[in-house]
Amino acid sequence: MENVATDENWKICFSQLAPGLVLFARQWARSAADAEDIVQEAFVRFWRKQHDISNRGLLYATVRSIALDFLRRDSRRARRESAAMSGVDQSVEPQFEIEDESQRQLMAALELLPAEQREVLVMKIWNELTFAEIASALEISQNTAASRYRYALAALKKNLPST
Amino acid sequence: MNDFSELENQLRKLRPAQPSAELMTRIERSLAEQTSTSTAGVLPRERRFHFNWISLGLGLAAATALLMFAFIRLHEPAKKTPALSQVTPAPVLSAENSNAQLVPAGLTQVVYHTRDEGLHYTGNSSQPMRRVRSQTRDTLQWRNPKTGATLRISYPREEVSLVPVTGQ
Repeated sequence: MENVATDENWKICFSQLAPGLVLFARQWARSAADAEDIVQEAFVRFWRKQHDISNRGLLYATVRSIALDFLRRDSRRARRESAAMSGVDQSVEPQFEIEDESQRQLMAALELLPAEQREVLVMKIWNELTFAEIASALEISQNTAASRYRYALAALKKNLPST
Repeated sequence: MNDFSELENQLRKLRPAQPSAELMTRIERSLAEQTSTSTAGVLPRERRFHFNWISLGLGLAAATALLMFAFIRLHEPAKKTPALSQVTPAPVLSAENSNAQLVPAGLTQVVYHTRDEGLHYTGNSSQPMRRVRSQTRDTLQWRNPKTGATLRISYPREEVSLVPVTGQ
């Protein structure tokens, strides 16, 4: 991730960022396919406007903005579909590559976090953003970003059975 | 923060699911739809071109409406104006001519303000007089029975009257 700032080729940039970006978008999307649609739209918009790729705060803010728009549209569609799909078992695609039971428990605990804490955690752990970049993307102060991160870790620790 | 270092390590071991291989292809296609580097100069130009058509259309429609309105206004009153323009000098004309064209149709006097200015003594009389100042709007109206045209003149008038005071 260190050489992102100097990359000129979008493929190199994107291949480094894609897993984290899709994970970030998954917070608002109901499926992996929807999350990829969000990331595609955001990355293309970001790249076309020739923003500096080192400005990761802006990239994640773009993803977030498009995801929230998508969520508004999707929630209307979901309401229409929910009546037809009620009673049908819907499998949820995993957001992580799970290797053992402890990771499964960790993922389950992650899903219990409040949205505002989880998004900070996702940006910090799996996207390696600094608190300054997180603050810029979410339009909050760095102290707030850091607080949310600590609260998220504390909540995870509390919810995990054997940590 | 040290309390959480073990937990952070555990979290980092969790690897996000890899996006599909199609995603890269789709982005490549999206970027290739426009120019490969920048489309910032192309998109706004399209928008401006579109906007010009709309404003041009609206402008033309407005100009057409204005021309039609002016055309109608120019032609309609043309029949009435000569009669009115001849009527204007009516007070100078003789009674016969004026009767043939415009006939007095009414006089309205509206007193809209009256003020009592108190008792006054005139030079010749020892009897006091009350001075009353009234402000009036007079409206005179003429009508041409043949054409139905009317002429109305309205003007303000101020009148001061002296009313003798009678003691009982």
